[in-house]
Amino acid sequence: MDELVKNEAGDRIYTLNLGPQHPSTHGVLRILLDLDGEYIVKADPVIGYGHRGHEKMGENRLYRQFFPNTSRIDYLAGLLYNHGFVLTVEKFAGIKVPERAKYIRVIASELNRISSHLLWFGTYLLDIGGITPFLYAFDDREQILDILDTITGSRLTYSYCRLGGVARDVDSKFIDMTRAFLKRMSSRWADYEALVSKNVIFIHRTRDVGVIDEELARQYGVTGPNLRACGVAFDVRRSEPYEVYDRFDFEIPTGSRGDALDRYDVRFREMQQSCRIIEQALDHLPEGEILTPKVPQKLPVPKGEVYFAFESPRGLTAYYMVGDGSQTPYRCHIRVPSFGNLNVLNEVLPGTLVADAIAILGSIDVVIPEIDR
Amino acid sequence: MKIKDIEARMGKQFAGCPLERDEAGVTGALWSISVPLAGLRDAATEFKDAGFFLESITALDFEDTFELVYHFNCYEPCSRVIVRMLCGHDQLAPTICDIFRGAVWLEREVHDFFGIVFSGNSDMRPLLLPEDADYHPLRKTFGKVGAYHKREVIYG
Repeated sequence: MDELVKNEAGDRIYTLNLGPQHPSTHGVLRILLDLDGEYIVKADPVIGYGHRGHEKMGENRLYRQFFPNTSRIDYLAGLLYNHGFVLTVEKFAGIKVPERAKYIRVIASELNRISSHLLWFGTYLLDIGGITPFLYAFDDREQILDILDTITGSRLTYSYCRLGGVARDVDSKFIDMTRAFLKRMSSRWADYEALVSKNVIFIHRTRDVGVIDEELARQYGVTGPNLRACGVAFDVRRSEPYEVYDRFDFEIPTGSRGDALDRYDVRFREMQQSCRIIEQALDHLPEGEILTPKVPQKLPVPKGEVYFAFESPRGLTAYYMVGDGSQTPYRCHIRVPSFGNLNVLNEVLPGTLVADAIAILGSIDVVIPEIDR
Repeated sequence: MKIKDIEARMGKQFAGCPLERDEAGVTGALWSISVPLAGLRDAATEFKDAGFFLESITALDFEDTFELVYHFNCYEPCSRVIVRMLCGHDQLAPTICDIFRGAVWLEREVHDFFGIVFSGNSDMRPLLLPEDADYHPLRKTFGKVGAYHKREVIYG
């Protein structure tokens, strides 16, 4: 019983090693929990098991060579990371993008956002003991993967955008499939609501659990749905509109209590808003080119720096590039939202029950490879 | 506009420090200020009191010096500001982990990759690298390196 030590008050403290191989940690995350009975007194997340050195790779590759890496940083939102990366380099090198490509990128990104949220939705419910919603969510997510498969040719690491446009045009098949998906989802939300959102057991498991208030979120740089759940309507798509997001009519769902149920609720309503964006983008999809011809092989990147933020399913994500005028960046830094979102657990977990730790960890929706980079 | 107030106050407090406005919106921030190492904590406190959050901390390795780059941002209105400071290869940087608690991990990450030690941060264990790592991968002297410049080559 080496793990039993005594704290200052003489209570016996048990150290529990949660992870790194645990189904509820969603990746290789280890959390050292000091327990006093069933209560957590200290939590120390240990990360870095999936560190691949993306930032160093970025410094050693041409801008366009680094591009496929970006879908591997957050494997659930590969397309959004692709999208953000090309926007960063386009801004840096001053490359123009055709209108049609902008709309296609938004449609594909929002589909990817819904698929990421659906995966979270299914696995979160699985974490706290509901098996059935997982099957429904994956059924719906499969539709998105099929849709994205038709234009990108892959299911997870899309590498779909290109500097100056996208790799492949959308055809009527893609548009029909997307419209069919939107129609399907419009009737699905009520089902999910009846099955999960109004489920008494689920509400009791999540209401007032893992409260993050606005001040705590600010201290740790929490962004995304976790921040919006505490009532701050901060979304990069609205506050610093990139691409064509300023042309669409959508709401930014917010919560009020900042607990696990609010985070669930915010993500749930975000999926509906993403559907609205896709619908508007499909309605206004312009004709024309999808790729700027003659993007120079040798990019006209200047000396200096660029910082570009975009909204991934997990929050504010940003690329920070410093160029020395050559074809490789001098520094390539990636600001990932899960970093702060996980860090805040240091303060959220103490004082809660072990069983709630799983409910809290799931509710903040971390993707570990994104943190480890 | 509180960002204007902060700009004025910072300009006064760090008189003589270069404050660059980015009207063209190229760098993704409204303005950036270079402060001396000792001025970082004052700057961070200023931003904390004004309701900003710390978006990221990162460093750059130049032949002659390290450069630490702090991005602060505000929810409403979104106004990103860069605070940068030069930190010699053998110098300690001041911690801001008592001002922004999330900075503990960010500073640990910078320490991992660059070996910059933050004085006052009690937890300098490796974060993303193995526990026994004694190398700093993002230094330009580590592994395959494209170019190693002096700072003036890029920033003039």
